Amino acid sequence: MILLLGPAGLLLLVVFAAPLLHYAWLSYHADSVVTGLEPVLNHGANWIRLLQDQRFWQDATQTLRFALVSVGVELLLALAIALLLDQRWRGRGAVRAIALIPWALPTTVMALGWRWIFNTPYGPLDQLAHALGWPSLNLLASPAITWIATVVGDVWKTTPFAALILLAGLQTIPGDLYEALRLEGGSSWVCFRRITLPLLRPYLALALLFRLAQAFGVFDLIQVMTGGGPASSTESLALYAYLNAMRFLDFGYSATVVSGSFLLLLGLCLGGWLLSLGLSRPQRQQEV
Amino acid sequence: MPHQRRLWIVLLLAWSLGPLLWQLYTSFCSDQALVAPLAATPERWTLAHYRAVLNSQPPFWRYLLNSLFVGTSSTLLTLVIALPAAYALTRLKPWIARPARLLLLAAALFPYVLLFLALLEVARSLHLGNNLLALSIPYAALSQPLAILLLTAAFRDLPLDLEDAARLEGMRLWQRLRWVLIPLIAPATTSTAILVFLFSWNEYPIALTWISDASLLTLPVAMARIAGSSIYSVPYGAYAAATVLGSIPLVLLVLVFQKSIVSGLTSGAVKG
Amino acid sequence: MSLRLSNIGRRAGQQWILRHLELTVSDGECLALVGPSGCGKSTTLRLIAGLDPADEGSIELGERDVTRLPAVQRRIGMVFQSYALFPHLSVADNLDLGLKIRGIAIQERRRRVNDVLERMRLQERAAHKPAQLSGGQRQRVALARALLRDPLIYLMDEPMSNLDAQLREDLRPELRQLVLRDQKPVLYVTHDQHEAMAMADRIAVLHQGRLEQIGTPSELYRDPVSLFVATFIGRPQINLLHTDSSSVLGVRPEALQLQADGLPCRLTHLEWLGASQLWYLDSPQGTLRMVLAADRRVPETIRVGWRPQDELRFDAVSGRRHR
Repeated sequence: MILLLGPAGLLLLVVFAAPLLHYAWLSYHADSVVTGLEPVLNHGANWIRLLQDQRFWQDATQTLRFALVSVGVELLLALAIALLLDQRWRGRGAVRAIALIPWALPTTVMALGWRWIFNTPYGPLDQLAHALGWPSLNLLASPAITWIATVVGDVWKTTPFAALILLAGLQTIPGDLYEALRLEGGSSWVCFRRITLPLLRPYLALALLFRLAQAFGVFDLIQVMTGGGPASSTESLALYAYLNAMRFLDFGYSATVVSGSFLLLLGLCLGGWLLSLGLSRPQRQQEV
Repeated sequence: MPHQRRLWIVLLLAWSLGPLLWQLYTSFCSDQALVAPLAATPERWTLAHYRAVLNSQPPFWRYLLNSLFVGTSSTLLTLVIALPAAYALTRLKPWIARPARLLLLAAALFPYVLLFLALLEVARSLHLGNNLLALSIPYAALSQPLAILLLTAAFRDLPLDLEDAARLEGMRLWQRLRWVLIPLIAPATTSTAILVFLFSWNEYPIALTWISDASLLTLPVAMARIAGSSIYSVPYGAYAAATVLGSIPLVLLVLVFQKSIVSGLTSGAVKG
Repeated sequence: MSLRLSNIGRRAGQQWILRHLELTVSDGECLALVGPSGCGKSTTLRLIAGLDPADEGSIELGERDVTRLPAVQRRIGMVFQSYALFPHLSVADNLDLGLKIRGIAIQERRRRVNDVLERMRLQERAAHKPAQLSGGQRQRVALARALLRDPLIYLMDEPMSNLDAQLREDLRPELRQLVLRDQKPVLYVTHDQHEAMAMADRIAVLHQGRLEQIGTPSELYRDPVSLFVATFIGRPQINLLHTDSSSVLGVRPEALQLQADGLPCRLTHLEWLGASQLWYLDSPQGTLRMVLAADRRVPETIRVGWRPQDELRFDAVSGRRHR
């Protein structure tokens, strides 16, 4: 038994548990060029710095905004796609395969592509704007709007995954339920509201949780598509941690940023869970 | 087929393929055409971009090979470790098994990119950097949660009698695994293998921090390096060609294995 | 004495599902293990096979104490209720696998497999997978696999319960002949008493984890040691009359006779069984079941009695029989 579980357990400990503990430890040390790249205990100075670090909090807000909007849009699209793929029609398998392609491509590969699509003035969107007589969109160069471009890139890539989860959920709903409701005169909308949505709730929750956690750690897309700019307006927490470590060589602070991000993620999950509890209570009463 | 549905299908296809097709289009456009897309240019089409990408140093196919190597070794390593672990999980008493599964689920949800720093230190202290084979170790580790969850579910679906019968035939544990249990979960194993392969192929932050040697880069990192030059220059034709070349293997993989991928993900969702 | 169970007990949590079980099965003997669901018969098989460990007692197989021996090392030939054939292998490979694992050379393996395929008339199905076989064929494969094990004992867990009634009747003699050919002990679990009486030399009746009685079918029928055994063995079920508060009187339907001085009864229902008929009668002592020859007519007045030697008296509280 030990032999069977040992290697897996060891790997998991090394990869998940150990790093988190290590970060907690390292965050209380200064470890940078200043200290000759050796950890030196500095008693929470990193944490004080973190709390006062405007860039960190800005990045946190941006990351949260990115995650919430991206996942929100994604789930709506995924639901639509899942509903479409749930029905039977010829060529469904092929279309499903094609719909999977965005998810299967490496993020960095298409990030480049997105840069081109949003490019001013040569990208297709800008060209379209020109043709319609609008001014240049400048999507990748305006601190207020560029994050939306990153959301588009993220939604494109990750929607198929959420769609598959929701599709799995849709396929567990027995067809008789819909028939019964239709016989009583229910319209499509009523069917959707009273049958589909409630039965899909655990899958929506799973997809939501999964995607929210993943989106919180967004790195690949941002680094390649915008580099965090313009003016750090699209910078994510993961990217900030990376910069601290790889560019500023401040490993102690990087560990602090990661730890802080992790704590924020925990808070987010906890908040989401409490919210779902609160939402389900009035719903349950309604069902009774 | 109702017209409304046909419309949605077309929209879905356009949305899914659009950006990629645009890259395809761009990759064949000459530089002049890129700069003035709507103007009528004498030389629109060119293969120059592909030539540039394929003739660069190191050659583009090198990255594909590197990714293939890492993908394969990660997948093998993951399965070798996860299959016994998944079996063991089905034999554990429920009061250990349930929390274990919840922990695995939590680990599967976790944004692993946050672990890059610690993993980097592991690479440094154990001298695992710039080594494609070593890279499969963190990949296998990160894939364990999902792999174990999927494989455990598959093992649990097997009738209990079968293992009893195998025991009575004189088969020890590893014999039962090899001749009966593992062959019987082959579909789940295939799905898991493909998902792990995809993950390894697409992984970026760890590959980025563990490998700096240009000839050892995996595809995602190589693409990012290509993009690393200034945002304001215009070798977008070459970028597009690189994108297309980088996408082909994966598109093929998805099209060939789509049933397996879908069943793997959906069974994971249903049982998760 | 090829199987001996001594004081066998098995627990599930704090509950004993089997306790104080004593059993012997000789070479060339078929012992049927019968009882209602949950009485512990399948558990007993699993303990003998080594699939579950015994919490108490000892198991001897062929003069050897195997109580602590793991299942892979006991030589057991077991036929499961579901047959447990390996779905991904052909019939021939199913049979071959065990031999291969035990290190037998390929020529010898082929010979033995072909041998048993012939014996079981499965040659034409050798390349098929279990899913392509009928229930009866699958059972034969399961049996073939057990035969190839050359085991110390055959354990059968309701091997016919998935087959239809006609097939079951046809297969009974064949099955019995096959397993007894090599003079090994056979332990046969079933919930069907007809099958038990057709297949077995002796029957062991289990009730709530304990052995109620063990003996030949005739012994159990004529001389049941408790109310449970009396009602379990014998179809139609024995008639029970509560004459007084301390004892229960049992009379078998076959023992009832039309007597001028018997209990007055009224016929409520009649079942024709081919060679005999079954009457359901309403009497001052309750409902009575009576079996008569098929050609008996229903008389105007029905009076029913029985010979005193056909009476079976049981204690009302403990169920044990007064001798």
